Amino acid sequence: MLLKTVSLLLPVLFPSWRFFKTVGPSPRVEYRLIVQGKEGAWQESHPIPERVSLGQMARRMVWNPERNTQLYMVSLSERLVSGVVDHSVGELNRMIAERLVGQAGDLQFRLMFLVPEGDQIVGEVLYESTPVSLAEVTL
Amino acid sequence: MSLDAIIRLTEIMLALAVLQQSVEHFLGGRDRALFGVRILACLWMLTGWHSDGAVVTLWLTGLVYLHRFNGPYNGGADKMTMLITTCLMAAHLAPPGQWQELAMAYLAVQLVLSYFVSGYVKIVNPEWRSGRALVDVFRFSAYPVSESLRSWAARPRLLWLMSWSVMGFEVIFPLALLHPVALWIGMAIAATFHLANACLFGLNRFFWIWLCAYPSLIWFQDRVFGG
Repeated sequence: MLLKTVSLLLPVLFPSWRFFKTVGPSPRVEYRLIVQGKEGAWQESHPIPERVSLGQMARRMVWNPERNTQLYMVSLSERLVSGVVDHSVGELNRMIAERLVGQAGDLQFRLMFLVPEGDQIVGEVLYESTPVSLAEVTL
Repeated sequence: MSLDAIIRLTEIMLALAVLQQSVEHFLGGRDRALFGVRILACLWMLTGWHSDGAVVTLWLTGLVYLHRFNGPYNGGADKMTMLITTCLMAAHLAPPGQWQELAMAYLAVQLVLSYFVSGYVKIVNPEWRSGRALVDVFRFSAYPVSESLRSWAARPRLLWLMSWSVMGFEVIFPLALLHPVALWIGMAIAATFHLANACLFGLNRFFWIWLCAYPSLIWFQDRVFGG
């Protein structure tokens, strides 16, 4: 517990401040429902909107929970592929399940990392979760 | 402004910034106990009554927060939040005088480093110098707030100019400490930069929390470089 606290606190008290040092592979979280053994299609969880107006940008200065959740999911995805698995999987399952209230079945997600390849953007799946029953995901 | 006034101003600004963050979490329905306590600590801090207790409460719940999210929830914004809280707590708990000054000076130095280091790591990267990195940010990264913003990737000259504007501003920011007018200009440019990041990338928490550290810089400039 103490070591964990120290490991969490040190990067905060002595930050590296290396924002956007490089632009690496970019994660997208996709999920599907598996109902009675039948796998649904993969779809992006928490996608960004097509447009955000100036008025919406102004409102988001003081009320921005949706976007902050999206940014947290990006962090969790990066942590997950770097080896921080249990906490990240639990949080991602929970946040995806929050959007699926009232639905039944098993939830599975995968992390698709996008990279440029010439003029194209290609995706590579770096993680696929073990399906869990939606009813067992704690919201 | 006196050091006491700077500490109090920082407290008020921090309380408002953390209040905004905490209300978002609280009304979202998750971790209500944690964020309820943080909301109360912010309101307590705003009253100014024994605000040292409020700062300590905010710091302790900040630790719980780091455990709860296994690190920052909102990246650098949370790091800056905890850093400001820690420096304020150190300023309150330290005996009056040099130790208090050291705590606020540490915050000011970290603020300057946040710009300089961020600019330096970009300017030594050929991808940033060519403007390619910022093109990639808009082209495929998770940061643009909308799909329509991705069309900016097709404007490489504009993004090259934006890249050099950001890198140039960040690496020369420490020079703003040499004169109070330069510092105010530097802080105005920096705030505009954070505002743009909030609008384009949804990083609203960075905008508010970085502003909270500015009073320490105003004090530090006067203390170190003032007449």
